[in-house]
Amino acid sequence: MYGKKVKLRAFFILLIFLSVSLAIFLVFKSLEENVVYFKSPTEVKNLPELETKKIRVGGMVKKNSIRTNELEINFIITDYKNELVVSFKGSVPNLFEEGKGVVAEGFLKDRSYLKAIKILAKHDENYMPPEVNEALKENK
Amino acid sequence: MANQIGNYSLYIALIASIFLIFQSSNSIRSKSKNLDSKIFSALSVQSLMVFISFFSLIYAFIISDFSNETVYNNSHTTKPLFYKISGSWGNHEGSLLLWLLVLTIFLFIFLINSKKLLIKYRLLTVLFQELIIIGFLLFILFTSNPFLNLFPIPKEGMGLNPILQDPALAIHPPILYLGYVGTSIIFSSSLAALVCGMVNKIWAKHIKKWIIISWIFLTIGILLGSIWAYYELGWGGFWFWDPVENVSLMPWFCLTALLHTIIVLEKRNIYQSWTIILSIATFSLSMGGTFLVRSGILNSIHTFANDPSRGIFILCFLFALVLLAIFIFFIYQKKNLKNISKSFLASKETAILINNWFMMFFLSVVLIGTVYPIFLEVINGSKISIGPPFYQKLIAPFLIPFLLFMAVGPNLKWIKDNLSKINFNQLILFVLSIIISYLLVKLYGVNYLFAVPLFGLGFFLFFLTVRDLSSKDSTLSQKISHFGFSLFILSILFNGIFAKEFTSNMKVGDEREFMNKTIKFENLKIIEKNNYKSLVANFNVSDNKGSINLSPEVRIYNQPKTLTSEADINSTIYSDNFLVFNVIKDDGYYNVRYQHKPLMLWIWFSIILISAGGILGYFKKDD
Amino acid sequence: MIKNIKFIIIILFSLFIFFIFLKGLEKPNNYLPEKTSSKIETNLSAKKLYDQKEVLLGELINNNNFSIINIWASWCLPCRDEHVYLLNLKKTNSINVIGINYKDKKSNAVEFLKDFGNPYSEVLTDPDGTKSIELGAFGIPETYLVNNKNKEIIKKYIGPLNDVKFKEILKIIKNEKN
Repeated sequence: MYGKKVKLRAFFILLIFLSVSLAIFLVFKSLEENVVYFKSPTEVKNLPELETKKIRVGGMVKKNSIRTNELEINFIITDYKNELVVSFKGSVPNLFEEGKGVVAEGFLKDRSYLKAIKILAKHDENYMPPEVNEALKENK
Repeated sequence: MANQIGNYSLYIALIASIFLIFQSSNSIRSKSKNLDSKIFSALSVQSLMVFISFFSLIYAFIISDFSNETVYNNSHTTKPLFYKISGSWGNHEGSLLLWLLVLTIFLFIFLINSKKLLIKYRLLTVLFQELIIIGFLLFILFTSNPFLNLFPIPKEGMGLNPILQDPALAIHPPILYLGYVGTSIIFSSSLAALVCGMVNKIWAKHIKKWIIISWIFLTIGILLGSIWAYYELGWGGFWFWDPVENVSLMPWFCLTALLHTIIVLEKRNIYQSWTIILSIATFSLSMGGTFLVRSGILNSIHTFANDPSRGIFILCFLFALVLLAIFIFFIYQKKNLKNISKSFLASKETAILINNWFMMFFLSVVLIGTVYPIFLEVINGSKISIGPPFYQKLIAPFLIPFLLFMAVGPNLKWIKDNLSKINFNQLILFVLSIIISYLLVKLYGVNYLFAVPLFGLGFFLFFLTVRDLSSKDSTLSQKISHFGFSLFILSILFNGIFAKEFTSNMKVGDEREFMNKTIKFENLKIIEKNNYKSLVANFNVSDNKGSINLSPEVRIYNQPKTLTSEADINSTIYSDNFLVFNVIKDDGYYNVRYQHKPLMLWIWFSIILISAGGILGYFKKDD
Repeated sequence: MIKNIKFIIIILFSLFIFFIFLKGLEKPNNYLPEKTSSKIETNLSAKKLYDQKEVLLGELINNNNFSIINIWASWCLPCRDEHVYLLNLKKTNSINVIGINYKDKKSNAVEFLKDFGNPYSEVLTDPDGTKSIELGAFGIPETYLVNNKNKEIIKKYIGPLNDVKFKEILKIIKNEKN
């Protein structure tokens, strides 16, 4: 029937095709599992149903809301419309401060309570807030 | 004054660039036999002008000339001289000027070093490279000019973010840029070779040097960035799969693939198209990385200045180059496919091809993880991020076959090898490694699915390369790099699996138990320094074997007002003890994190070994 | 034939990526909470720049006119650009321009006003930036147009004032008066 060469070639192409599709499948499957959505406290409040996957919530750390004990740091993230209580065990970045922006990553316990596993704050090569920077560039 | 000089030099460089584009296309059309001396002089003038311009920026930083907006935004009179100088390329405008400087100097070196090659090929490379240079010049002059004047002149500058005041970070961008820009030469020259129909052994031999040199710089650049993240950011890790880090890793995968393919082209004269595709992809990824980082399109923990107009410029420029490359590729591809020589399944070529496919897979994983959030936000507006588990899950299992091929592949012969005579030696080593890793995993009770095969193949590669290191032959550079890689895999495995972390909020005098260790917060001192105030804490970490003192710091800088944590790290060849603390609020509690990380130094060392292999390969006499 | 199809697919694919990135650039990349309260914080107490006396913001905006509250600093570059608009607003009757000097040294601030002119009827100091945060500022410069009668913020301008914003302010005041 077919020569040995042709068979080998077909086998090779099939092998490549299979491994490529396997790779694509794995990539997208794991993409789905590891996506972390970003929400504001208001969006959390308006969720149709409580998110069980890991999420990120961003906003400002409310003034006078940080409470610390031996194990945890508790604080409130606000977007000036709604608030979300966050409790966190772990280490905080340098830029974590009251009245400053913060992103907390973790699991929602209910619509106003997040158990965080990671706290992120941004460091900026130019120290000014981005809006100022933007404005600066506009005015050159 | 320096401002004007810097600015006008850039304009002269722009004129030189336009002249060079015209002159080189004229020379190509007239089929001249010799290199036009005008081209050489114009290129010298251009390099000199860009150099002067870069130097005047450094000068403005040194004398703290705040009439220069870039200096004003990024410097301060109280800053140490070293950081004043490194501050000149630590910002957006200056870093682009550095890109440009390396671009022109590399082209100059290329022209000197390619005397033996076809004149048309050299001219075409100059032409393509000048197209890149002119893009950068326009970009710098019209969207990110580092020489803008400020009037009235401010008395004091805004300062440089203290996080960026670190020796590793001061030299990290230049080294990384040398790598990135090196890929531009590879890009231009492979397009030129394609047009001339000379994608062959001779060209491969010539361009291999450029590939190796770019690869070395890129590797060391990534290493330095990683060292900075570990020592300065105080997060206790060396790689976070952050978009900005990924962006430097992507061209590295591509370049590593190219590094292997070019050897096949040199030895066997096959894989021409694939080599060209890799060259184009490597450069596109380097440029694309600059675009992603500089346009602010990425949401990263390292945020750079956001400016959409810059983003649009780089984006259009990048795609113009990519489209040009695609057109040239499709038009001239046929010309180069002259000889299709036979090769067999069991051969070095196949092994290298497999290596390439793995590299492409790793590259796709990182690429998808990095750009998927951007795509999703554009398509349905949801803001997402991709966590490190994504990368770990996808890369770790594929490392198993990858390591196997890496161990066996280099020992295969070119063209055709006989698989039926199974190497008894190798088999014993293989079984031995699996047994060792099995015992290791059992002994420490590791519960990680891939631990046995990953450790096993890590050891296998390690043993094989150690065995081959002693046997002297011409591929010593490759052996060293592969040996370094096996060391790297083993140390990150140990590091990842056996690392221990403990966090707590502590008051002065508190004591905590962790595993079998006691961590005591002994005291806290306040020290006033020249441009910052420092809180120095003293911790004692003890176990039944002994105790160590660690004194991390929190620095409060004035200009600009910033807090930074300086971790205290006790490094030994076995493990690192890492302790960092942070101020939460004025209520007596401090946020403390202690980490025990095995074989940390070996990670750095193994990457140095990997690049050392490259350096050796660069200086190797051609046979 | 196959070659052409390949070529077209690759070109289309790169164009697709190009447009995705282009659109991605348009998106603002910072997560900004929108402040809903439209009342100005009248209980804000701060020291004046020149005589260092403590004063309540409410005391400064208790007549029947309009106020411009402008957050600025001598080190801020865009503030220099918008300064001329503030000077023009000062000339307009029925507008009272109040400055809040953000994270600045007194000597630098005074010198700045000496060099560029002083549009402010009163300058309050905010050495550590907390007052501006209480007002709901995101960055500087920022300008609020306040109706003194009901202490409502009519309009909030993030970033420096320019021709368009300046004309808008004048228009709003004209309309509100009638």
